[in-house]
Amino acid sequence: MPLRHFSIAIPLLMVLPVSAQQIEVESFVLDNGMEFLLLPRTEQPNIIAAGWLARVGSVNERPGITGISHFFEHMMFKGTTTIGTSDAERDRSYREEQANLRNQLLDLTWGEQYEHHRRGEIDDPWDEVSDSPAIKELRSRLTNSKEGHKQVIVNNEFDKIYTSAGGSGMNAFTTNDVTFYFINVPSNKFELWAWMESDRLSDSVFREFYAERDVVHEERRLRTESTPTGVFQEQFNAMFWQSSPYSWPVIGWTSDLNSYTMEEAQRYFDIYYQPSNIVGVIVGDFDPDEIKPVIRRYFSRLQAGRHAPPPVVTLEMKQLAQKRMYAECDCQPQIELRYHTVPFAHSDRPALEMMAEILNGRTGRLYKSLVEGKSIASSATSSAGGFGAPAKYAGSFSFQAQVKGDALPEDLELAWYEELERLRNEPVPAQELQKVKNRVAADAYRRLESNFFLLLQIGYYEALDGWEHINEDPKRLQAVSADDILRVADTYFERTNQSVAIYNRTAGGDPIDEDLLALGPEQQRNVMLMLKQMENYSLPGLLQFRAQMGERLQQIPPQQAEQFKPMLEYLLKKMDERIAELQAAEND
Amino acid sequence: MRLRTLSLFALCLPTSIPLAAAQDIPNRPEDIQFAPLNFEPPEAAGYRHELSNGVLVYLAPSQELPLVNIVFTFKGGGYLDPQGQVGLVSATGSMIRRGGTMSVSAEDLDERFDFLAANVSSSSGSTTSLATINCLKSNLEECFALFMDMIRNPGFQADRFTVYVDELLERLRQRNDFPDAILNREWKALLYGRDHYEASQTTEPMVQAMSIADLRDVHRQIFHPGNLIIAVNGDFEESQMLALLEEAVSGWEKRPLVIDPPAPEVKFTPGLYHVEKDIPQGKVFIGLRTISRDHPDYFPMLMMNEILGGGGFTSRITKRVRSDEGLAYSAGSTFIPGVYFPGEFRALFQSKNPTVALSAKIILEEIELIRSEPVTGEELEIARNSFIETFPRTFESKAGMLNVFVNDEMTGRDAAYWKNYRDNIKRITAEQIMDVARRRLDPRQMAVFVVGKWDEIYQGDLDQRANMSEIFGGNVTHLPLRDPMTMEPIK
Repeated sequence: MPLRHFSIAIPLLMVLPVSAQQIEVESFVLDNGMEFLLLPRTEQPNIIAAGWLARVGSVNERPGITGISHFFEHMMFKGTTTIGTSDAERDRSYREEQANLRNQLLDLTWGEQYEHHRRGEIDDPWDEVSDSPAIKELRSRLTNSKEGHKQVIVNNEFDKIYTSAGGSGMNAFTTNDVTFYFINVPSNKFELWAWMESDRLSDSVFREFYAERDVVHEERRLRTESTPTGVFQEQFNAMFWQSSPYSWPVIGWTSDLNSYTMEEAQRYFDIYYQPSNIVGVIVGDFDPDEIKPVIRRYFSRLQAGRHAPPPVVTLEMKQLAQKRMYAECDCQPQIELRYHTVPFAHSDRPALEMMAEILNGRTGRLYKSLVEGKSIASSATSSAGGFGAPAKYAGSFSFQAQVKGDALPEDLELAWYEELERLRNEPVPAQELQKVKNRVAADAYRRLESNFFLLLQIGYYEALDGWEHINEDPKRLQAVSADDILRVADTYFERTNQSVAIYNRTAGGDPIDEDLLALGPEQQRNVMLMLKQMENYSLPGLLQFRAQMGERLQQIPPQQAEQFKPMLEYLLKKMDERIAELQAAEND
Repeated sequence: MRLRTLSLFALCLPTSIPLAAAQDIPNRPEDIQFAPLNFEPPEAAGYRHELSNGVLVYLAPSQELPLVNIVFTFKGGGYLDPQGQVGLVSATGSMIRRGGTMSVSAEDLDERFDFLAANVSSSSGSTTSLATINCLKSNLEECFALFMDMIRNPGFQADRFTVYVDELLERLRQRNDFPDAILNREWKALLYGRDHYEASQTTEPMVQAMSIADLRDVHRQIFHPGNLIIAVNGDFEESQMLALLEEAVSGWEKRPLVIDPPAPEVKFTPGLYHVEKDIPQGKVFIGLRTISRDHPDYFPMLMMNEILGGGGFTSRITKRVRSDEGLAYSAGSTFIPGVYFPGEFRALFQSKNPTVALSAKIILEEIELIRSEPVTGEELEIARNSFIETFPRTFESKAGMLNVFVNDEMTGRDAAYWKNYRDNIKRITAEQIMDVARRRLDPRQMAVFVVGKWDEIYQGDLDQRANMSEIFGGNVTHLPLRDPMTMEPIK
């Protein structure tokens, strides 16, 4: 039985009585150039959210040191001359020794190993499997030095001091544009924050440099390599940006992660962590008149830098042709389309954001049309950039959707073009625009509910263009007209300005090789190494090798047969498979 | 005269301050003197009200922003799924928001909520169900009237249910895509049994068999005043809010309170388990079932876990696996005391395939160590201080505070828990921690669960510091990956 629906009368152009809240941030600058933004707030008693940001991110890097901004974020928790060691002098000599060994190791790797790699003799110049005797020697001296160093390292002391004092949520993140450090402290412990942060900003020591680099490798495996679409998103990003330094990932390319030197790190720190490039942000339960003297006392000890950080000069080249990428992964078939748009401070950004708002949400155009109407998507959203995305120097607009049922990613692409045509040709109806504006206005209040979120917004806006955006943006969004949306939809969405990534699901998986498992760890390793070498053999070479192996199998003394026979048989089986593969390839 | 003094003073200022400042900075952070922070936890009774039909209401007004936030919490969740209909309660929770009301179509309801800029949600978790609204004070009455119509008279509109089913099936299809999802799923199945609600999984046939009549049955069972507690924070006046709520629930049939979630019947077999997934990094849980939160071992376990692996960088596992060895990005442990039955302890990490064995070995060593030697005075003090000093954060925001009150009320936790919390933490000694670890963390009783590429993981690291034959003698149970749609083992 169909339900009788009463439609609700919606008065056209009813405007909700909302006017964005103004928050009063107090800003001041120390003599050394460090800026502070203060926002007292009593709604969350007894707590202060405190943080600071450096105006540095992957955009300030260059090939060879990609990922160093993020690596710094890790190193900043390793302490100072005072924090993190029981013997500053021995600590320093261990660090110098390790930097020295490390530099020799890098020279050998970049020299010999890279050359072997270029000649096709080894797969990966960084893989320890291919270490030369000299590299092995250096590596083992490095390991010894690191072991010795542990005697004078007070592990994670920075964290212990905060934890013991009731600090919570201590963390940091790095984006393309900004590096941000933050923590919540009890309101009576503000001075501790000032001590700790001014200490690490004036006297940072890069301890446990190499173990931490391994941690970052694990982070890369976790976030990029072990997720269904991670590595492909990284490639898509590199394809989308041509000349802009936004093209490399924030976490860095693998070879570069291995290549940082202590000198390079120190140079980077001196340039980008000078006080005039840093902004402190404090939100919560405090009296500004009480904490300002504390801030001055502690942060005035930071030495002003001698030269301002260099500007980011490389602009993105204008895209001239559509770019497409096809990937297969353990993932829902999906699509992303991305367009070059404008940097954060550009006057067209509010209109592009409103365009995304029109498309998004439960009653937005994408859900209604792709998910409900055509029933080809299980999700569909658009984004005009946003928190953490590249923004300061260049922007982008993207559409992402996952398929439903038998639909193909290409069906989603066509549906997107239809929506785009509507936006380019028909003004957004007044009622629809007002709905989105109402939501944007209410959300402007919701964003002011938590100390921590306020801290992030004020800091992030300040890094991109100015903290005043927290008050000004809601007004700018309200001022966007249907004509503005029509205009931006017509300006930035040419096919030649577009990159497309299409993901399809991989069929099947890798079964476990039970025969290999039966061999036990030591033989497994030998077998794996030989199999790896075998990949480089040509067909005649392999046939010859196969013949020799067959003979050796016959010659095993009976008393050793039980031990080695399974391994040799396994190798022969794998060889035969490989031979068949190569023969098939020749016949093609 | 006056002017001149002033200008002289101003001239002196820039030079004199940094000089004085340098001397004022203590050498070490421990030398700083802090003003005491006096904090007493808020008492639920001060915020508690009762409507005439017996429904409890917690109110916490605040005038900072012109928003009102209302949370309806109903006892009842996935544990009430009928036999062979896993996911039905969850579907009901979602469909209340998505399917309109008996008199307003889903499309009109959505458009109206959106136009009024109200954020409205409904959902059912494993033990409770929620309906929430966050809206502007200026249109509270209209929004709230629609919200109540939605909860009391949901439309469960058929075309919306079709969309829900389609989306759910697509989510099922992705159940093996993330290695962590496989690990969580199979771990729960091992510890609680596949039939228990902590582990049960819906399937395509179950989803296809769901009907709107089924949803209505679940709605009748859970979404009524007998299961309900209300919490409101934001900009409102208490007496007006109580009047509004009183009116909203009048004539709403109150049915019996649902039963408590059942305890699992399975006793799991300790050992080494593995599910194959071709990724460059193995994902591992090591742990076992422990206690419920009312157990006398609760506070010692809390402290023990904090020192062993729960306290982030200050904890032993993180220090050794991450900081010393660089083997993992995240390595630590978590203690999840059960509410209705014993919960679990587990250590966890992810590491590149060759160093999975080494990381696991280090963690097992640390577990042995905390069972055999008392923790140090420094460790005890850091853990103690951390719990005590961060205690106020539990009640930091109004919404967070009310959430604590509602959960305590619903699960019958004594209000004295928060009152005595800090004293109970202070009392714990190093001996108690060693004792509880010895009794509760026997590695021979644990499961070591690995998702990853087994042939690479098994061999261990290049220097042979460890390989998987050292863990339960390498006797591994290879569990099959399960078909994402049917949950049947894949051959």
